[in-house]
Amino acid sequence: MNDQVIDRPTSLAQRVIDWMDERYELRSLLDAMLHVYVPREAKTFYLGGITLFLFFMQASSGILLTLYYQPTPDTAYNSVLFITSDVSFGWLIRSVHAWGANLMIVACVLHLLRVFFQGAYKRPREITWVLGVFLLFITLGFGFTGYLLPWDQRAFWATTVGTESAGAVPVIGDFLLNFIRGGATVSDVTLTRFFGIHTLVLPVSLAAVLLVHIVLIHQHGLANPKKPAGQVKPDEEPGIPFFPHYILDEAIAWYIVLAVLVILASLFPAGLEAKANPLETPAHIKPEWYFLSLYQFLKLVPRTVGVLTPVAAAPLLILLPFLDRNPEVAPAKRPRMIAAGVLLLLAITILTVWGHFS
Amino acid sequence: MFARVLEKLMKQRVTWIAAFVVIAIIVPGGFAKAFSAAPPSPEQGATEVMPPSPGLTSPDLAPLSQGPLARSPDESPNNCFKCHANLPGPHGGIASKWDASVHGRAGIACADCHGGNPETDEMILAMSPEAGFIGVPPRRDIPALCGGCHSDVERMRQFNIPTDQLPKYQESVHGVKLAQGDIRVAICTDCHGSHDVLKASDPNAAVSPYNVPYLCAKCHSDEALMEPYGLPTDQLDIYEKSVHGEALLGRKDIRAPSCASCHGSHAAKPPTSDEVVNVCGKCHTATQKLYEESLHARIGDAAPKCWTCHGTHDIIKPSEDNFLHPEPLVDQPCGECHVDDTTFRMEAARFESPEDRRCDTCHHPTSWVMTQIKAMKNALVEAQEAYQAAEDAIQDAAARGMIVNDAEVLLTEAHTSIIRARAVVHTTKLTRVTELTDDAKEAAIKARDLADTKLADNLFRRRAMVVVIGIIAINIVGLIALKYQLNRHSEGS
Ligand code: HEM
Repeated sequence: MNDQVIDRPTSLAQRVIDWMDERYELRSLLDAMLHVYVPREAKTFYLGGITLFLFFMQASSGILLTLYYQPTPDTAYNSVLFITSDVSFGWLIRSVHAWGANLMIVACVLHLLRVFFQGAYKRPREITWVLGVFLLFITLGFGFTGYLLPWDQRAFWATTVGTESAGAVPVIGDFLLNFIRGGATVSDVTLTRFFGIHTLVLPVSLAAVLLVHIVLIHQHGLANPKKPAGQVKPDEEPGIPFFPHYILDEAIAWYIVLAVLVILASLFPAGLEAKANPLETPAHIKPEWYFLSLYQFLKLVPRTVGVLTPVAAAPLLILLPFLDRNPEVAPAKRPRMIAAGVLLLLAITILTVWGHFS
Repeated sequence: MFARVLEKLMKQRVTWIAAFVVIAIIVPGGFAKAFSAAPPSPEQGATEVMPPSPGLTSPDLAPLSQGPLARSPDESPNNCFKCHANLPGPHGGIASKWDASVHGRAGIACADCHGGNPETDEMILAMSPEAGFIGVPPRRDIPALCGGCHSDVERMRQFNIPTDQLPKYQESVHGVKLAQGDIRVAICTDCHGSHDVLKASDPNAAVSPYNVPYLCAKCHSDEALMEPYGLPTDQLDIYEKSVHGEALLGRKDIRAPSCASCHGSHAAKPPTSDEVVNVCGKCHTATQKLYEESLHARIGDAAPKCWTCHGTHDIIKPSEDNFLHPEPLVDQPCGECHVDDTTFRMEAARFESPEDRRCDTCHHPTSWVMTQIKAMKNALVEAQEAYQAAEDAIQDAAARGMIVNDAEVLLTEAHTSIIRARAVVHTTKLTRVTELTDDAKEAAIKARDLADTKLADNLFRRRAMVVVIGIIAINIVGLIALKYQLNRHSEGS
């Protein structure tokens, strides 16, 4: 390699890289990061990567929004109105952020389903799964806190009913409700609180957890969906080079998602209802679609049961890799787990649709 | 030393006042305690338990029973109720109805209207003529019977209800006819019930506003009953379809008028031509004021009144069509409008059909007034059209996801001006109308411009989107090409 360098006159870029490499040994780091292999059988559908891309989009559009957004009840609504109708391309930034949030949740859930059905959460990837569930919760937290920020009627009342369910938790319900709202009702305190959580607490948490999630993935390489980890013989690897082959496909996927985002934002830009009015309850209050199944469930069963079920289900989801001891990954070899997953998915879908039309 | 302190204290007025207050609190309290064991004096007991009834002091006002009208089941037995409650059929029903009625609850008992002696449990004695039993009071006597109590100011004060129903009734068409011996007309019990009288504010009462139209119609829609009086029987049908009927009966809007709001209840009578402006003005205060500024209001009997243009039971939402007939009226015979050269014919029959409740029914097609009317109509129509165009554009923009709050504010402004302009038509002054329609048009045009800008912006967004998608597509194609190249490269190597 050195011979080649000597043979040709070095370009400026080359010299900068050399200069850096001399000091920080970047090449070996990059090599370690990029020159890994993806099993030929692995089918990620690029969903994790798409979620990652959408997180980048959310972060950058979100930062732009904070340049104009003002988190007080008196000014929040007007600042959003201003962003949407006066700031140049403000409508685009806001609409991309609003649609991006929805798409990110979709992508994240599909990613989870992919991992679940391929059994990719099993040994040695248990912690990757645990962190993944945390990432999903953080993403949902983004959705919940972000929804209040425009401070229009929909925002205010969706948050009112959303936080209400926290009050039904036995024993600590009242405390929890007060803690989330910062008082008995959704108010200016709630708004500042949600703003802080949405723009500081959650992004930092997500970035930190995501970093470990990805480092772990790098350490394990992608799972083989045909054989349990123990049965993959070293000589079967390597598969497809991660760089540039897999990255190239990933880039195409990102571009397609970007196109979808642009189309949605242009044709269905984010709207704004009347300014929040705590004295005027609108006729139909519903939370965002991703909380609808939970909301509908709460309506159907006694309140305590409704609230405790998800509280009990969350640890089960987090600890799934430790509860499911079957080492097999192929769906055909773990019919009960697949059936349970399909049933749960069906129940959630039905509840969501039901909630939408009721 | 002590004396000096005392002297100093005495000098301060504050101390005096404080001392006085302390004494005032302690002394009566102590007295009350001291005497609390003693039985109340007979006078004290009487004032607490049985306030002297005005019925006692002026027995001539009380209808039949002489005693105080207070039901005290423990003391004076109401044997009528006891027996009747156990009777099968309507007699038993009467007892329970009365018990639930406002009279039952206030202790106005059977004997107060029917006479008799409720103290005895001997049926013959209780309902004997000697005991003053009269059975069912004759219809003719009912108003006076009810009025016996209800005209008594002292007795009605505690219920805060008026006491002028009887004199009002006697003035009403119903009352006058009854006095003439016609017992088919409505009497108190026909509207309020007899044993089952409820408060007028009780939504279940037949006289509650939502029920009044059906209550009046019970008789007034009865053709056989109305035939001798030559009265129409279709008022309820017509009223139900009117703006007022739809509001009151359809939307349950309690502010809308029932029959009684215009005709009166106890004093029921059709309003006369010189009363109608005040009758409508009870609710339409602002419009009445505007009307009173008009030339119409100044020409007395010959003038059109509210009902000339709007009708009575059949009032519908007015519109710009109310100005002129669709086809101009030509070759009208003079006698159509004039009795002689100077007198107008304003009788109600001429305006019975909604078709004829229009300006050109009276105003000559070639008159100066007609040019004013036409200008007024045009101004309103134009303002309305500008408003409509703006509203359409705003809805279009909103449907495309554009934020239209600012345009909507202007649109509301235009709407308000149009409503005010329509009201101002009652002044018959063209300039007053055009001032407001000009405001409306201006606001509507501004709103429309805003909406159009938003639509243009939306078009730009869609075009820009196509360009961006194009660029993304080119990139994707580039990446796919790169991929093929790579694959071929790695196959080759
Ligand atoms: C913000 C949310 C998330 C991001 C950005 C993210 C990102 C990624 C990425 C880029 C990968 C590489 C493979 C791929 O692209 O599919 C991956 C793999 C993985 N993720 Fe996530 N993830 C997220 C949430 C989750 C969730 C919710 C779960 C499950 C509960 C999860 C569990 C896993 C597991 C187990 C793998 C390894 C899969 C394998 O080896 O095939 N992740 N994640």
